[in-house]
Amino acid sequence: MNSKDSEKKDIRFSMKSDRVVVTGRGSVNAIAENMDDFAAALQNGTCGIGPVTLFDTDGYRTHIGAQVNGFDARQHIPAVYSLKRMSRSDCMAMAATLEALAEADLLSMADRMADRTGVIVGGGAGGMLECETVFARYLEAGADRMPASPFAAFSCASSADHIATHLNLMGPRTTFMTACSSGATAIGFARDLIRSHAADIMVCGGTEPMCRITYSAFNALQAVDPEPCKPFDRHRRGLTLGEGAGIVILESLDHARRRGAPIYGEILGCGITCDANHMTAPDTEGIGAAAAMAAALADAGVSAQRVDYINAHGTATPANDRMESLAIGRVFGNRARHIPVSSTKSMIGHTLGAAGAIEAVACLLAIERAFIPPTVHHNAPDDECLLDVVPGCSRPARIDTVLSNSFAFGGNNTALVLGRFTEEGGAP
Amino acid sequence: MSRRVAVTGMGLVTPLGIGRERFAEALFGGVGGIGPIENFDAEAFKSRCAAEVRNFSARDFISARLLRRMDRLSQMASASARMAVEDAGVDLASADRGRMGIVMGTAFGATDVVTRFAGTLFTEGPRRVNPILVPNTVMNAPAGHTAIELGLRGINTTLNHREASAEAAIACAAMQIREGRADMILTGGGDILSPFFFSVLERFRALSPQNDGEEGARPFDRRRNGPVAGEGVGVLCLEPLESAHARGATVYCEIAGWGMSGAPAPANDWPDNPDGMLRAMQAAMTMGGVEPESIDAVSAAASGGIRSDRLEALALERCFTGASQPVVTSIKGAVGESFASGGVRTATMALGIHSGRVPPTLGLTEPITPLSMVSADSREMPVDCGLVNACASGGTCVSLLLKKS
Repeated sequence: MNSKDSEKKDIRFSMKSDRVVVTGRGSVNAIAENMDDFAAALQNGTCGIGPVTLFDTDGYRTHIGAQVNGFDARQHIPAVYSLKRMSRSDCMAMAATLEALAEADLLSMADRMADRTGVIVGGGAGGMLECETVFARYLEAGADRMPASPFAAFSCASSADHIATHLNLMGPRTTFMTACSSGATAIGFARDLIRSHAADIMVCGGTEPMCRITYSAFNALQAVDPEPCKPFDRHRRGLTLGEGAGIVILESLDHARRRGAPIYGEILGCGITCDANHMTAPDTEGIGAAAAMAAALADAGVSAQRVDYINAHGTATPANDRMESLAIGRVFGNRARHIPVSSTKSMIGHTLGAAGAIEAVACLLAIERAFIPPTVHHNAPDDECLLDVVPGCSRPARIDTVLSNSFAFGGNNTALVLGRFTEEGGAP
Repeated sequence: MSRRVAVTGMGLVTPLGIGRERFAEALFGGVGGIGPIENFDAEAFKSRCAAEVRNFSARDFISARLLRRMDRLSQMASASARMAVEDAGVDLASADRGRMGIVMGTAFGATDVVTRFAGTLFTEGPRRVNPILVPNTVMNAPAGHTAIELGLRGINTTLNHREASAEAAIACAAMQIREGRADMILTGGGDILSPFFFSVLERFRALSPQNDGEEGARPFDRRRNGPVAGEGVGVLCLEPLESAHARGATVYCEIAGWGMSGAPAPANDWPDNPDGMLRAMQAAMTMGGVEPESIDAVSAAASGGIRSDRLEALALERCFTGASQPVVTSIKGAVGESFASGGVRTATMALGIHSGRVPPTLGLTEPITPLSMVSADSREMPVDCGLVNACASGGTCVSLLLKKS
């Protein structure tokens, strides 16, 4: 190192940075329950969609989903942590958290660090899967005969509560519930809390169980494809529901450096907008979605030119994919056709409240291991979706900057910009 | 960017009345909103009282086209948001609505709709469920409907963390204003009562009367035996102080700080120590740059819960050890425990700061704490700094610091 370089380094270390980095990742989903398997499955284009067995789908229009088959909480969660009153959703979130903390080298945390560590989970149906059975009992036999204990985990707040309690975390704790954008929004707000010095470390992400109410709701809206979903394909007919959890450990760069933590990427920006148009249908013009992407890029201070990969919301409903393509065109202009785009929902299903978080984890793996995840079952390009959709299996590519989209019922749009970590920040 | 955050408007749909004026008149006049349940049949329950919203005419506030698509909670939220905008003197037609957002909190959402939807699913089968109900089963429906009704395309999100949902929403909104990501945000929250939800609360023995004794809300009182359930929505209009001044808006107060924390606690239960609440208050004061001695009033989360009130009293006793002590009040004696009550309670503190009054804690006659409580009658006194506390079962705490501008 010459003297000029060391001088530069000194300046860098003396300035307190407001950069927020990712020091751990974890996910439980239909194609993997750990990072290595997840990366391999994304690279190979493994599809996790199959028959729904968590409940009887007799009488429903569709019978498939992206379940976490054979999920055994105890394989992930050591016996010191009681699973009492934890729903499937809570357990998946806890499993992903422990994996992320292990990656971050934070499984055993000093009290002083735990005091400054918070939890924000994006939720969905929470403990609905368990409570549905109880509700059916209530309808049959009345309130007096209804076992009340499953309702302890009914609220999707219970995931953050269990994580914080098990790990003794005393920092900021809350839960977002904006349907399909919850996970991404949780990550965005966790970053805000670190930047405002309310916490040094945040455990954040999202979790979502498969359940009857959600399954029947999407069936009733005729938003689901009876076959595995085909994002951006001319013959797409709807989404496939999934379940799982995604958790990332965010940390201020200063804090991560001080403890010599591994760094898997940086959260560069977050943009949140609303369509203010319709509760369930996306705005056909894609104005709100485009505004969220533009806001995220502006927040990141990154020009659209620098985005190497777009992890699309890509639900495979005719309306979403058409709208999203239009919105990407609004933001990226002529470049829209040349930026690789994929929808990992083709492999892990639409995990609703967890989607934005699991997809953020997928993006971080793509950055780390230099590949663009594919969109499986995408065979026939659609003139209404003029994008460089990466089909079949993954494409090797160095990725420095990723845009990840999450759009939700209520017209809630969240876009995240994630980047490869470099000491200098900004453009590599 | 670091902009100061002003409260310039409020809208309320509460058991004490609809709108700021009626609410304030009743609350500061010592009127209670708790009575026998009328909106549904509670005959079979041990708890038969609640603080219900009555005489709410949604069509006075919401366009007919959208009204029929909204569930009751969304109607209350949209009406509150409309009132907050009007109270703030904002002309929506000429405002940049791409820079205006909504951040709401709700603990349980539209339990009435979810129950109806699930009822059909489990009795008549999946092919008979009504797709029209689906959009209202999600927690973010109130914020979504309100955005459509008012045409607000900026930041929009919903927080969903039990009794600390709305205070967290207000902290989140204030952060967005401070960071320059929006120029105006309508924020707050609420919850509604419905028969099935009420029966779950009852089954959990989460309501008064627990043990023997008379049903009633008695925050911080020796005879307290559980909260009385309530419902209602409160929405505040937040904007940068500078732009509030520039347009000559009335500034009720500033949101000068917020603190969020959690304490380990058994599932859905209370922590065994007051550290979480204490940390939240200290963080809010540190952020706002004020010492405990400067706090004039605290709007406590206390609802009459046997353990939760004790914990909060301990936190307050540890926080305020100096010679100058704040007065403490809980409006849950008047409006019940309405879960995401932070919108209504923060509006109350903003009104208190603006008009120099602290509302009474109805139901309190024998305090469990030596703190200076405001009991039967409201107190006229200057309030320069106030804290609004939230403490949720499960151990999550939020405290907001409000300051006279």
